[in-house]
Amino acid sequence: MVEEPLELAERALSYADGDAQVTVTHERSLSSRFARSAPTQATSVDDTVVEILCLRDGHTASASTNRLDDDSLRAAARQADAVARASARAGRGDHPGLPGPVEAAPHAGWDERTARLDPSEPADALRAAFATAADAGLEAFGLWTAGAVRTAIATSAGVRATDDATDAFMKVVCRDDAGRSGYAAGTAHASAEIDAVAIAGNAVRHAPREDGIALGPGEYPVVLSADAVAILLEFAGMLAFNGLAHAERRGALSGRLGTQVAAASITLRDVPSFPCTLPRAYDAEAVPKRAVTLIRNGVADAVVHDLRSAAQAGGGARTTGHAVEAGGSPYGPQPTNLVLDGGSADDEAALAAPIERGIYVTRLWYVNVVHERQALLTGMTRDGTFLIEDGRIGPPVRDVRFTDSVLRILEATEELTAGRRLASEGEFYGRRFANGVVCPALRAHGFRVTGATQ
Amino acid sequence: MLDLLVDLVDRAQGHCAYAEARHVSTDDEHLLVRNGQVERVDSLSGEGIGVRVRVGGAWGFAASARATREDGERALAKALEIARAMPAAAGHVLTPVPPALGHWSGPCEIDPFAIPLERRLDLLVEAEAGLRGDARIAQSTAECSLRRQASAFASTEGAACTQLRTETGGGIQVVAVDGDELQVRSYPSAHGGNVGLGGWERMVALDLARNAGAVRDEALALLSAPPCPAGRRTLVLGSEQLSLQVHESIGHALELDRVLLGEASYAGTSWVAPGDVGSLRYGSEQLTVVADATLRGALGSFGWDDEGVAAARTTLISDGRLLATLSDRQSAAAQGLPASAGCARADGFARQPIVRMTNVSIAPGSAGTLADLIADTDDGLYLETNRSWSIDDRRLHFQFGTEVAHVIRGGELAGLVRNPSYAGITPSFWRSLDAVCSEPAWDVHGVLNCGKGEPGQLMRVSHGTAPARFRDVEVGVA
Repeated sequence: MVEEPLELAERALSYADGDAQVTVTHERSLSSRFARSAPTQATSVDDTVVEILCLRDGHTASASTNRLDDDSLRAAARQADAVARASARAGRGDHPGLPGPVEAAPHAGWDERTARLDPSEPADALRAAFATAADAGLEAFGLWTAGAVRTAIATSAGVRATDDATDAFMKVVCRDDAGRSGYAAGTAHASAEIDAVAIAGNAVRHAPREDGIALGPGEYPVVLSADAVAILLEFAGMLAFNGLAHAERRGALSGRLGTQVAAASITLRDVPSFPCTLPRAYDAEAVPKRAVTLIRNGVADAVVHDLRSAAQAGGGARTTGHAVEAGGSPYGPQPTNLVLDGGSADDEAALAAPIERGIYVTRLWYVNVVHERQALLTGMTRDGTFLIEDGRIGPPVRDVRFTDSVLRILEATEELTAGRRLASEGEFYGRRFANGVVCPALRAHGFRVTGATQ
Repeated sequence: MLDLLVDLVDRAQGHCAYAEARHVSTDDEHLLVRNGQVERVDSLSGEGIGVRVRVGGAWGFAASARATREDGERALAKALEIARAMPAAAGHVLTPVPPALGHWSGPCEIDPFAIPLERRLDLLVEAEAGLRGDARIAQSTAECSLRRQASAFASTEGAACTQLRTETGGGIQVVAVDGDELQVRSYPSAHGGNVGLGGWERMVALDLARNAGAVRDEALALLSAPPCPAGRRTLVLGSEQLSLQVHESIGHALELDRVLLGEASYAGTSWVAPGDVGSLRYGSEQLTVVADATLRGALGSFGWDDEGVAAARTTLISDGRLLATLSDRQSAAAQGLPASAGCARADGFARQPIVRMTNVSIAPGSAGTLADLIADTDDGLYLETNRSWSIDDRRLHFQFGTEVAHVIRGGELAGLVRNPSYAGITPSFWRSLDAVCSEPAWDVHGVLNCGKGEPGQLMRVSHGTAPARFRDVEVGVA
């Protein structure tokens, strides 16, 4: 791409009449997958999408294209304008209007080496993972991926914002011939911080060496690794801290702000500039992303907002810079840089020490919502589930199904590790937006197991 | 464009063992009316070229959003560079395929993009209005999804073909809240409604406005309905819920790349082993399952898959016995099969083809209509419309929730229960199938969000199903 993203955004904006926002997203990424200690797929993507959002009488319409010639941009602007006008026929909509320019604090989330997307980097990482797995008599499966995403926003209200970010992620599953597997992953803004040997070594350590025992349904003390905690917190972000759902009484914290909803040891924030997170300067509405305390010492403190949800909430609510789509997503705003405070446990072994009989969970899988208002989730454990007996993480357990409320788990949290790390699933559907959760491992009581696999 | 692709793969000859190039041009539109106003209308128009090559057993794929000859050549060079950089892999040869030549178009009677926008919105506005009218309604939506996708494909093995697909559909949904209780009701199905290959005629046929009142009333009634009782019960699953059950516990489990461990780190593996084909009893004798990429109006239909393999109709399970899997050319070769099942599909120009479902459907049975099946059931629950879904990484242990359940007593529906859920182990569950409704009750349901692959790919597939009955199923687990 020769034209700078902001230049392209300004060119597109010149074709839009009235209130409009143009967002340019230029993604370059490289992904290398592997299975059975051999490369399977390697994908290089170079795509630029221009989204033109028109606002008419409180209604929004967007037209996106990756055709960057003047005629295509003009056509997209016409389309967005016509649709927004058609939407406004029935009366005024609820969008409060485009914000003016506000400068965001710079961040250090761009790494030049990562942005080069040199294929020798994943090749070396794969070789290292294969060798580490082989030394343990296992096969390696997984993904190495890195991306360089440049975003620019130009609006009719005078905003000219840019945000450049790189990301790198590697996960390794080490597996034996009997299907017993262990998982580990690493995420950072710079590919140099992805240590393939260390990640593969952790995956080896999580791989059971004997068949898992069956565990029946019931409530168990649990130690959840940081990866497992991160998934639960991401769902909490959607269900409990989404300002639109909250304003519409659909949110899991509806009527509960200001009350004790978690253990006193739980302080959860969304901090876009936190040191080891994947930083972002602006949200999708070009509003600088603000740090928000969501739960303070167990007390529900706030939800996050975009422009529309804040307007709908009323009572002086303002956007917190958590829009995930231009014009605001119909699904509402989301926290994207969750940070959970650590506790005082040295490590996961220390968390397990007080447990007479419980479960250690490496990773959760296929987590889905059962009941939105109750923040009730179900999902499976995967790639390393172990029995905790007499204070020690011991023999493997067959993967179990849990059906439990994420808020109840936070309420039942007894201790957290002091150390935290950035945990991510490294999933990129559609537009690449790398994010993760900075969190510790934790111990909670009453983890509700409702089934087990065979 | 096809000429450009043919030239491109010609240039690849001699530099790799195999190359293919795809150009995909997509127009998407999503209209959403929410809580009394037109909330969003989003359109996306995009195109690009994806080039996949194989060098020394390793694959390289590069995508460019520019569709010029120079950009195609750059993508080819990048794909070659990536493939050469990867550690060597002992790649199987690909199964042979006759060159895909010609053009295929999906059905479309009325071009949905030619319908004036105001008319499209009016249909949704009218439907959504019928969902409101009670203070307990926290969210009401009506939505419509349109897609037109033109693609061209060429390979170093002589393929040169083009395809055109038009997809249309939508639905309505209401969320009702009373205190801590929240209930959801949708029509004709959850998760974006029912979408299929076809034009605006599909949207008109849904008759959303006429169904809105019943959807709203049932959501409100569920707020005060008793909770689903726990225990082991006879279940009758509505065809939409059954379509997701097929999707998760049969379709994904029979993807050959999973069976061969190629997806072990993400989508997962399968409880089905490579040697099970031909011998495994997957379910009861009532269970016959077909993967049919020629099914008219279904999202998984095409002329050729994204490796140029002609659309096929394959019986996967016959009378409960496993006969075949879903494969692409690489997995079929690895399994020693003579040919691919034609299941390689890619999500747009910037993703490479992987093994996906086409239209995996349960064959209709002989149990008559849904009313007949309920009349034949003395005691049980009838569950309708998916609300929650989860299954383990071997596609073995599942748990589903639906929006609504009706108690069946003495062959009649005898009241609603809320928050229904059921769980099971795949082969045990399918072996408990004892009745499938007949062909008039058989319907095709689209799934828009089938996720797989890294970077992620969302595939659109369909499932034909009729209501069916299962004995001794664990319910009320959530």
